[in-house]
Amino acid sequence: MNEATLLLRRIHPSFIKLGRPTSAAFRPTPKDQCELSVYDGDMIAPAAAYAHYRGMNHESAGVMAVTVSECAALELPVRSDPEPFPEHAVIDFQALGGGQREKKGKQLRDRAERRGWLYEAE
Amino acid sequence: MNIDDFLTPRLVGKRFESHSIPLELLGDLAVLEAMIKEAAKWLYMREHSGRERAPRKFADGLSLTLTAVEEGSAVAKITLVATSAGFFPPAEATYLEQARDAVVASIAAASENESPSEHLPPKILAYFDRMGRSLRNDEAIEFPSPLAGRPARLTKPVRLRLLKAAEATERTEEIRVRGAVHDLNQETMKFEMRLSDGSKVSGPVDRQQFDYFMEAFNEYKNGIKVLLQGVGKYNRADRLQAVESVEQVTVLDPLDFQSQIDDLRTLKDGWYDGLGIAPSPEGLNWLCAEFGERYSDTLPSPYVYPVVEGGVRLEWPIGRWDVSLEIDLRERIGEWHALHLDTDEEESKRLVLGSRADWDWMTGRIQALSGVDS
Repeated sequence: MNEATLLLRRIHPSFIKLGRPTSAAFRPTPKDQCELSVYDGDMIAPAAAYAHYRGMNHESAGVMAVTVSECAALELPVRSDPEPFPEHAVIDFQALGGGQREKKGKQLRDRAERRGWLYEAE
Repeated sequence: MNIDDFLTPRLVGKRFESHSIPLELLGDLAVLEAMIKEAAKWLYMREHSGRERAPRKFADGLSLTLTAVEEGSAVAKITLVATSAGFFPPAEATYLEQARDAVVASIAAASENESPSEHLPPKILAYFDRMGRSLRNDEAIEFPSPLAGRPARLTKPVRLRLLKAAEATERTEEIRVRGAVHDLNQETMKFEMRLSDGSKVSGPVDRQQFDYFMEAFNEYKNGIKVLLQGVGKYNRADRLQAVESVEQVTVLDPLDFQSQIDDLRTLKDGWYDGLGIAPSPEGLNWLCAEFGERYSDTLPSPYVYPVVEGGVRLEWPIGRWDVSLEIDLRERIGEWHALHLDTDEEESKRLVLGSRADWDWMTGRIQALSGVDS
């Protein structure tokens, strides 16, 4: 993983409206325990990440991404977390309060949206 | 000779407070004539059991006419008019009076949870499919009932009881539904639309509405929906089966708030990888009503998303401002947050959404950020 590494984030279908993802897709949900799960884009391609996620019986409408350097600029630590599966990584929100999580989610969504969809389900 | 005040139904509800009757209600009242004449024939036949059918032209010389609308909330004065010459009303008039009393008695019975079939057979009770169909939840038609001492009230629930007694396998209702037109057949002039609960209904397309259906059909893949007003057929399980007629069709804004909320109604608990809590129907109803009343149509429409914990999230992308309101439906509070994505300028506030002042504050901020007059 380096600064240019894409961190692939799957987007739940209910988190998209008219092609626009909510920024809530870019901040941890309660099940994420303050860590936003992503795929390490150096280890897996967007289409494969999508297929892997769907293979776990979870829903996804596609894949967007931010880079490690974008996270660093927002002071969001990134680390590999291969325990669930080898390509798993997390963006760490643990040091942030609720308002800051909201803000960082919006900033991440902005970066990801500028990049566009890396994979979209049919 | 005419019989004045043959029937004086009183329409009760906000719509009638100006002592007038909306045109759509006249259709309901018009059914009374056919219903009372059919009931009169049935009464005649009951008295003349040797006959196979009522005399030809039975009651043809009689008709019901709306002669005045009087105050209180609105009282329709209906006169029985004898169109044939003569000083005395035709003999059938007596049967029509008995029939009127039987219709009123059936309504009274249904409103008292008694059996309307004691007064009229199912085939005549079936006229209630069209009679009272235009009534809204808070409205009633009251028929004077001298014998009972109090008026017989026809309301929506009472009408349903009457239709149940009519043993009808389906009934018609006025509908106002949102959905996406996924099929349009120009040969048969029929459309099919998908409602927000995933069910599909079809219906006829009138020539004057064709362009609207075509526009909605062409934009189906872009999520465009229509608001359709008309008459729909329901089965006994209370499911809309088909659209019988279309009065009006409106192609909706892609961000139509009600449609977006309807989409959330389809979520089930566990919607988010087994975890998401479905927003409560009561909460969504409350939000729709508040938003409809307090948020001006001229302001930018929000994008609406579900929240994993069971709430609703509204987002407004306004230039480089990313604005959100995350709503707790149970507590009826919202967390307002606005961030300028280039300057990092930020504002946040907890809003009490039962409070008009907080809604005004929010709409004021949307107005200021978007530069739109509300």
